[in-house]
Amino acid sequence: MLRPRIIVCLDVKDGRVVKGAQFQNLRDVGDPVELATRYEAEGADEIVFLDVSASREGRGTLLDTVRSTAERLFIPLTVGGGVRTVEDVGPLLRAGADKISANTAAVLNPDLISDAAERFGSQCVVASIDALRLPDRQVGDGRGAAQEGSGWSCYTHGGSQPTGLDAVAWASECRQRGAGEILLTSIDRDGARTGYAIDLTRAVADAVPIPVIASGGAGRPEHLRDAFTEGHASAALVAGILHDGVTTVGALKSALAGWNVNVRPTG
Amino acid sequence: MKIALFDYGAGNLHSLGKAVEALGPEVVVTSDWPAALALDALLLPGVGAFGHAAAALPDDLAPLRSALEAGLPCLGICLGMQLLFDASDESAGEGIGYIPGRVTRLKASIVPQMGWNDVETGPDPIFDGVAGLVAYYANSFVCAPGDPDRVIATSEYAGVRFAASARRANTWGLQFHPEKSSTQGRRILENWVALARGAQ
Repeated sequence: MLRPRIIVCLDVKDGRVVKGAQFQNLRDVGDPVELATRYEAEGADEIVFLDVSASREGRGTLLDTVRSTAERLFIPLTVGGGVRTVEDVGPLLRAGADKISANTAAVLNPDLISDAAERFGSQCVVASIDALRLPDRQVGDGRGAAQEGSGWSCYTHGGSQPTGLDAVAWASECRQRGAGEILLTSIDRDGARTGYAIDLTRAVADAVPIPVIASGGAGRPEHLRDAFTEGHASAALVAGILHDGVTTVGALKSALAGWNVNVRPTG
Repeated sequence: MKIALFDYGAGNLHSLGKAVEALGPEVVVTSDWPAALALDALLLPGVGAFGHAAAALPDDLAPLRSALEAGLPCLGICLGMQLLFDASDESAGEGIGYIPGRVTRLKASIVPQMGWNDVETGPDPIFDGVAGLVAYYANSFVCAPGDPDRVIATSEYAGVRFAASARRANTWGLQFHPEKSSTQGRRILENWVALARGAQ
């Protein structure tokens, strides 16, 4: 039986792991290779690097970071944030990324998903969706027509730009275009540590026949449990509570195992 | 020992190459078949689509089949395992046909199978030291060997048991990714390198 996964996300900028709220006041928290391999040793099931570099130079550095990490990391590595066009995908995979994720670039150019899936396979294409709950359920389809939606709308550019796309409808389109996984972040919950947006996670997970990674809101082990059992997520993304030393992957897994959530044993 | 890591022209070969190099052998990334078959062992990596990879196989498969039959140690990972079979439901194209059988789509509500799954291993030496194996999968297709005796390990997904691994002589196929399966996966690669050395 497939094990529910704990995925650790690291924000990477100019070859270093950084931390900050809403991409503001970034501060250096360590070396990506060292942190990624330490999380593997603690029992992380996968690592995500989110490139928050704004510059071209930063994106060049990203390839070096991926290459040196992949030489020592023996769990899957997903790289997001640095993918603008399908031409960006090959170099990242060749450098040692197993999957790429795209959000803004995919909304601006949905063919990015189709082209990457066709060229490199669905298993390496993660559609990243940042969703915000709307005050009412009326959202457009992004192309002008108003319709009854899920109540969750997609945002791009780090959560700052509304798209008018319904989160569930966009997830379905990404899947149809060949995405192999959905990384679903609740903007409302991101950093709040009050739990994942279970209703959002479940709405998307029940609508698409590909794995959904819950993201945004992890504060306590029961939040991960609820994402798996109530939210029907295949994986849960964790960042801040690990980087701040609030808990460890091992402690999260022990708690989950205690609730009979069948996580992969650590060590 | 020099191991050929065959490059179909898509995806991540870096992790597998580095993982094997860390065990001692020299890894030569190549998309030239005569050069690959002249080395001591052959690695078929697991990235891309079947049709695309099958198109990168030599037009005349006879020398490749003969090399495997003569005992060239080979490890096919994920798609690389599938290429050892005759054909795939994924796309047109002829596989190597060294292990008789067909590659079929996983029948499940969630595909691809993406994540860590339990593997029930048989007594094959490639699985020495990995009791209670949990390995990383990223696949939508699985191999159905014509001869069930070729299957040396199995996993279950969505209620269906499938071949996690198959073997014929010095050729092993692994449907999961040992290079992504942390400590246990590295042990499997180490076992294969030792088997390949022993076969020299």
